[in-house]
Amino acid sequence: MAWETRERGGRYYTRSRRSLEDGRILREYVGTGPFAEIVAQSDRTGRELAEAERQQERDRHGQELERLEALVAPVLELDHAAEVLARAELLAAGYHRHKGEWRRARGEASAHPNSA
Amino acid sequence: MPEAKPVHTPIALELSEDARARIAELRALSEKVEAGDKEARKELRRLVRASSPEVIGRASDIGRRAGRVLAYTAAGGDPLTEEALYAKLDAMRMEIAGENPTPLEVLLTERVVSLWMFTALLEVLMSAQYQKRLSNGAERSSPSSRSSRSSPSYIIQQSRILDSATRRYLAAIRELARVRKLQAGAPPVQVNTQVNVLAG
Repeated sequence: MAWETRERGGRYYTRSRRSLEDGRILREYVGTGPFAEIVAQSDRTGRELAEAERQQERDRHGQELERLEALVAPVLELDHAAEVLARAELLAAGYHRHKGEWRRARGEASAHPNSA
Repeated sequence: MPEAKPVHTPIALELSEDARARIAELRALSEKVEAGDKEARKELRRLVRASSPEVIGRASDIGRRAGRVLAYTAAGGDPLTEEALYAKLDAMRMEIAGENPTPLEVLLTERVVSLWMFTALLEVLMSAQYQKRLSNGAERSSPSSRSSRSSPSYIIQQSRILDSATRRYLAAIRELARVRKLQAGAPPVQVNTQVNVLAG
């Protein structure tokens, strides 16, 4: 969307739009004078409205994601706690990890830590 | 997405500072044990005996409550769906934990169940977004349809969260199976069986 100044003088309002037929960008020459001013103003308002809508959508999505994060926070805390506790229990019971696989350490007592 | 309301009475959905401190301590000691510190293993045994059951109990409780809050949200205000989801969570708990579960098994079961509920909730939210896009597909250019449609970046963000939740859910199942196997004293080695067929 722009005002163009021609060599012979005068400002012309032009705008671009995507062709509905083949998707190419087409430049449309609107003209000059009061009519072009009105069209330019209308385009500017349209762009501002669209930007406001996008901003509203971003805000709404941001809020939804925040709400989702708040909902899942306890689950993630449980996930972390369970991981730490399971690992601690297994290590305390005499297991160790070897290349990602849990094995009982040689010479370790087999008693469960909570049974001792 | 409806607001998450407290279930029955206001509840704390996070671990206490004390429980968090104990978990941090258990984690630090576990790291020392894995680094080969034998004294740390003795200390870890003492700490597991002393504080683990209580922390496990608290974490399990939070998991159970968090599962209910997620179920409430996924139900979208429909009381029948809400009750059905609560019943589903209870049935899953019973089925996964089995008979006489240890406290650790109860905790790992809560983890599996609440992560399942979380993935289910995400799937509900995502399918609602896709549904909205499909129903607005015919009127792509109208401003009202544009504003009610979610942007692709939002959908991508949601699918990443779903992906991460699914990975956690599968890891939780694996962890429960591993703990059960090890606690049952099953040998962690591959057993090769040989069958000799005698002729005659």
